[in-house]
Amino acid sequence: MTPPRSPGPGPANRPAPQRPWHVRLGAALPLRYVLRRLAGTAGLLAVLSAAVFALLRVAPGDPARTLLGTRSATPQALAAVRADHHLDDPVAEQYGRWLADALHGRLGTSIRTGQDVTAVLGDRLALSAQLVLLGFAVAVALGLPLGVLAGLRARRPADRAVQSLAVVTLSTPVFAGGLVLIYVFSLMLGWLPAYGPGSGGGGDRLLHLVLPAATLGLSVTAVLVKLTRAAVVRELAREHVTFALARGIPTRRVLIRYVLRGTVVPVSTGIGLVLAYLLAGTVMVEQVFALPGLGQLLVGSVTFKDVPVVQAEALLIAALVCLANLTTDLVHPLADPRLRTAAATAPADRDKGQA
Amino acid sequence: MTPRTPFRARRIPGVLTFVCGSLALILGVAAVAGQWILPHWDRQNLLTGAAMPGGGHPLGTDELGRDIAQMVVAGARSTLSGAAVVAVGSMLVGNVLGVTAGYLGGLTDMFVRRWADLLLALPALLVTIVVAGIGGGGYALAVAVLVVLTSPGDVRLVRAAVLEQRHRAYVEAAETLGLSRTTVMVRHIWPNVLPVVVANTLLNFAGSVVALSSLSFLGLGVPPGAPDWGRMLSENRTLLYDNPSAALAPAVAIIVSAVVLNLLGDRLFEAFSDRRS
Amino acid sequence: MYVPARGPGGPTTPGTLLEVTGLRVVADGALSGPEVVLDGVDLRVAPGECIGVVGESGSGKSLAVRAVVGLLPDGTRTDGGSVRLRDQEILDLPPAARQARRGRGVALLMQNPFTMLHPQLTCGSQIADGLRPGAPGGPAVSGRRVRRAAERAEVARRLAEVGLAPETADRYPHELSGGMRQRVAVAAALAGDPDLLIADEPTTALDAANQRAVLGLLRRLQAGRGMGLVLITHDLRVAFSACDRVYVLYAGAVLEQGSPAELESDPRHPYTAGLLAAEPSVHERLPRLPAIAGSVPAPGRRPDGCPFADRCPHAAPVCATPGVLLRPLPHVPAPAAEGHQRLSACVRLAEIADRPGALKGGAPLPAAGPAKAAPADGAPAPVSGDPAVRTAAAPVPALLLEGVYRTFRSGAVRQAAARGVSLTVPQGRVTALVGESGSGKTTLARIAVGLETFDEGRVEVGGVALAPGRRPGHGERVRLAGQAQIVFQDPYSSLPPLRTVEATMREALAAAGQIRGASRRERAEWTRDRIGELLTQTGLPAGCATRRPAALSGGERQRVAVARALAVRPRLLVCDEVVSALDVSVQAQLLNLLTDLQRAEGFAVLFITHDLGVARQIADEVAVMYRGELVEQGAAADVLDRPRHAWTRRMLAALPPAAVGRPGPAIGPLGPGEQPLQ
Repeated sequence: MTPPRSPGPGPANRPAPQRPWHVRLGAALPLRYVLRRLAGTAGLLAVLSAAVFALLRVAPGDPARTLLGTRSATPQALAAVRADHHLDDPVAEQYGRWLADALHGRLGTSIRTGQDVTAVLGDRLALSAQLVLLGFAVAVALGLPLGVLAGLRARRPADRAVQSLAVVTLSTPVFAGGLVLIYVFSLMLGWLPAYGPGSGGGGDRLLHLVLPAATLGLSVTAVLVKLTRAAVVRELAREHVTFALARGIPTRRVLIRYVLRGTVVPVSTGIGLVLAYLLAGTVMVEQVFALPGLGQLLVGSVTFKDVPVVQAEALLIAALVCLANLTTDLVHPLADPRLRTAAATAPADRDKGQA
Repeated sequence: MTPRTPFRARRIPGVLTFVCGSLALILGVAAVAGQWILPHWDRQNLLTGAAMPGGGHPLGTDELGRDIAQMVVAGARSTLSGAAVVAVGSMLVGNVLGVTAGYLGGLTDMFVRRWADLLLALPALLVTIVVAGIGGGGYALAVAVLVVLTSPGDVRLVRAAVLEQRHRAYVEAAETLGLSRTTVMVRHIWPNVLPVVVANTLLNFAGSVVALSSLSFLGLGVPPGAPDWGRMLSENRTLLYDNPSAALAPAVAIIVSAVVLNLLGDRLFEAFSDRRS
Repeated sequence: MYVPARGPGGPTTPGTLLEVTGLRVVADGALSGPEVVLDGVDLRVAPGECIGVVGESGSGKSLAVRAVVGLLPDGTRTDGGSVRLRDQEILDLPPAARQARRGRGVALLMQNPFTMLHPQLTCGSQIADGLRPGAPGGPAVSGRRVRRAAERAEVARRLAEVGLAPETADRYPHELSGGMRQRVAVAAALAGDPDLLIADEPTTALDAANQRAVLGLLRRLQAGRGMGLVLITHDLRVAFSACDRVYVLYAGAVLEQGSPAELESDPRHPYTAGLLAAEPSVHERLPRLPAIAGSVPAPGRRPDGCPFADRCPHAAPVCATPGVLLRPLPHVPAPAAEGHQRLSACVRLAEIADRPGALKGGAPLPAAGPAKAAPADGAPAPVSGDPAVRTAAAPVPALLLEGVYRTFRSGAVRQAAARGVSLTVPQGRVTALVGESGSGKTTLARIAVGLETFDEGRVEVGGVALAPGRRPGHGERVRLAGQAQIVFQDPYSSLPPLRTVEATMREALAAAGQIRGASRRERAEWTRDRIGELLTQTGLPAGCATRRPAALSGGERQRVAVARALAVRPRLLVCDEVVSALDVSVQAQLLNLLTDLQRAEGFAVLFITHDLGVARQIADEVAVMYRGELVEQGAAADVLDRPRHAWTRRMLAALPPAAVGRPGPAIGPLGPGEQPLQ
């Protein structure tokens, strides 16, 4: 320990100038960390794409027959399909070709309609994306503030109320929630349209998406509420919060800078998770509200065993999930400096004196 | 200062917990014995068709003239039993993998952790829809897929709890006494992890009720004709004008079951964290 | 640099900074109703004065200061009394007004530097957060750029005040050592320039050398700023070395008050006297430490009247009279000129004080009741240092370490916990292994019982050789179990929480394959008898066999842990900081117990400790570790009285001096070849 120097800004104690932003960003998000995360995401994507490719083999029976669909399975037709999809090649080769095609946007043709899968997906992507984004906005706008409120008022009436609401939304399947909302807001009150994507411009579309988005958002709000509440409760109990209060930092500032700051990592993880749940939720919501989006397409294709379409959708979803994961991974070291040197954590100090 | 009140002293017997417990019991009875108590749940009356409540049908009838109330009771079995299998199966998988990975560490731990991380990132319901739908195995396959996709949560939870206990002095003292690893795992670590496991199993149960009824709603769960809340809801949703309770009653049944299970699980978690603090 | 206190002369400024009178704090239990945790505490701090509040765990010392700053933990609340800060009652103030008073009126510095600072904020910004608006660098200065620059300059000045470089402002807490973090915390606590700083065990989590440095820093800042300082500590020596006046707190009540010199040489309460006597000294080994029987009562179970009555050797019926009051000493006239009086709460002081030496520090208080149960009637105890015993010992040492290396790797970081350590623990003797935290002593202890692997070298435990590089297999562990057992530091985690003491003991006996008897019934009977015997031997009441750990005190749990280890009849008992989590009075009981058991049973002990006084009291031989190396080893008296290695000398020098006015040697600069402390 250096011997303490006398107070006062002597020449040796001139404050160091603040470093430029790009230097600070580089320190906060080391390149090695980013590269490792990218590699990890690529690995994850590889595993998932292999699983998606294997879907064709999961279907009972001969893949060629599956690909043939309802067309009559003459030997000639079967042979044509085999040749077309290279079904007699080694599996690894088939996978490689399939993946390369997929990366170039060639996702095959739908068994059901014979249309190009890429085009089919493109038609429906917009509606689903709007739905997911709106649902996400609902979930975040409700879940985070309510979670913070419940955490700050832990075990008091406000908390109990929020938690009860959260439990109810968590326990309500998306389709049941959707039906209840339709019943109340469309049938009883007549405020909002019940079914369909709406025709015409953005305003009508938005009006038609209010109930679906609310249904979708509410279905995942509980997850965010629970996570945020737990994180706030945990942070409030930290000694550094007591210390901040004990040295006179205004309560508001302590809440924002000390308590909420600490919740960024767990909550951002939760937001990443919620994105995956939202993707699943769209399937149900589109079914209930008769919206022709990707979810409805997926259910229809699954029931029809339209494997190329299902594979394309599954691949799309896998990519989105990986992207969400990568984003949260990259946010974490920005929020918590301890994670920047994740590999170089100090060994557990067992000799820690009297605790 | 370490005031350590015994576990029971702090557990205030809340009214809510009591109500939840009673409801859980009723649901359990309905699931086990509903179809024996009401053997004529599927009696049809095509002349009546869908009708509003009244005339011996407290919740009205569906399109085939079947009594909604009886069908809701009878439907408890398929919905709840499937979910119970998912919850218990996932708990078993989670415990075996979680305790093993947490206690043994090293390579075992790494593989288990990677596996859990991978599955946790996936939207479980979506994967189940795709696999169960393409695979065509019906209800059994859906349940099996859900077990696989739910278990990583248990694995993580159990593993974390085991790691927390792993280096406690009492575990190391047991090792120093020369007890075998299995003994230490089963007799020392596991009992201390158990409360978390039970609480989480209830939460998983609730989640599986929701997930399985969603699958049934999409027509990917139970076969047509079987009484099931999700399927009822899907078949009767067009009756919102004729007999709203035909769609709302199964919805309420699903929601109430899941709420009850969720609340019980939460309470258990809370009691457990009280005991530890 | 050690800054001598101003002596018993006390404050020169008139008036009081903080006056606490009759403060009561209650804890609301869920079922048991409110329990009184603090029962009428009086404290007074004059401007520029440093007072100490000393108490064991359960005394309520932390709650008292939390009540003063208005940050009581959930479930506790004040229930009467008054807290006046600069002649203003603050208990009645609304929360917002109290929050406004914190920081500039009073600030609280806490114990653990590892949890006190926010891990995601830079040190500089945490200091800046507490700066007062209006002060230079405070948020009132106009212009964002100007403001930021002024703030940075002010933070640099504050860092310099606590002896840290300006670059520290941009570091995160996890990048700093414990001692540096505590300095940052001090700077943060002082950012609002408080009139009164309350430091709650500020040095307990630090190494001895850092303890001295932080204590000196606090004292110097206090003197330089002319602020009041309240130092909360469990360690009488720490309070004596730094404070002008000391309050002794016990079970929610103040029992005695006086200057350090007065308290040390002339304690006027049996509790203070007992505490002083129970503390092992680094300079001499007593045949028995005078321990205080029993343990601190829990808030619900305190006796009426004097809370110390049921542990007090001088207790009489009058002690049960309700109401503990601090009163001036009967025989000592109030030194009015010096501004403070000796106060004691003992109602029998007049009678006791007449007995010569009854309250002198180190007076032979009756030894702990339960500890006496240990067999003292065996063969004459081997006297420490007796060469005859040494040669009579079995040729195979209880523990043999030769050139042991162990390096922990975590990513790119490598930390050597053992660097070629050679150590022999002979049969039937007590060897203490001393060192600072992180010196590797615990790693060695764990290697000896097979809980930790080692990279290379030779390890033999009573003839059982361990292989480097891997954990011992099941068979090896069984053989090892018969040779060596371990008792850990933390009494709260060392017993299985869900099992009764009896079940734990039975498992230990069964694991050792010791249970005798032909029939099932005979075996059960034998087991019961043996458990009873072991519990009696360790000074535990027979009734505790059916209890679970939660119903036992820390000292009792440690005794059970010792009994469990001895159930196997090991030839080596490894004690890893077994007394460091215990209060001084209970620590003395356990040290006496271990000494008795060791003499009666003749096993060898490897005693790991950071406390040189404890080492002196228990050990025949002492080995000193520093950064993974064994730097000195020899008979206890030789090593501790005539240290040869610079590091041993530094550790001895870092001990708090006896009392104010007797400053210990300052910590000198490191000699050549020594590395600075982290």
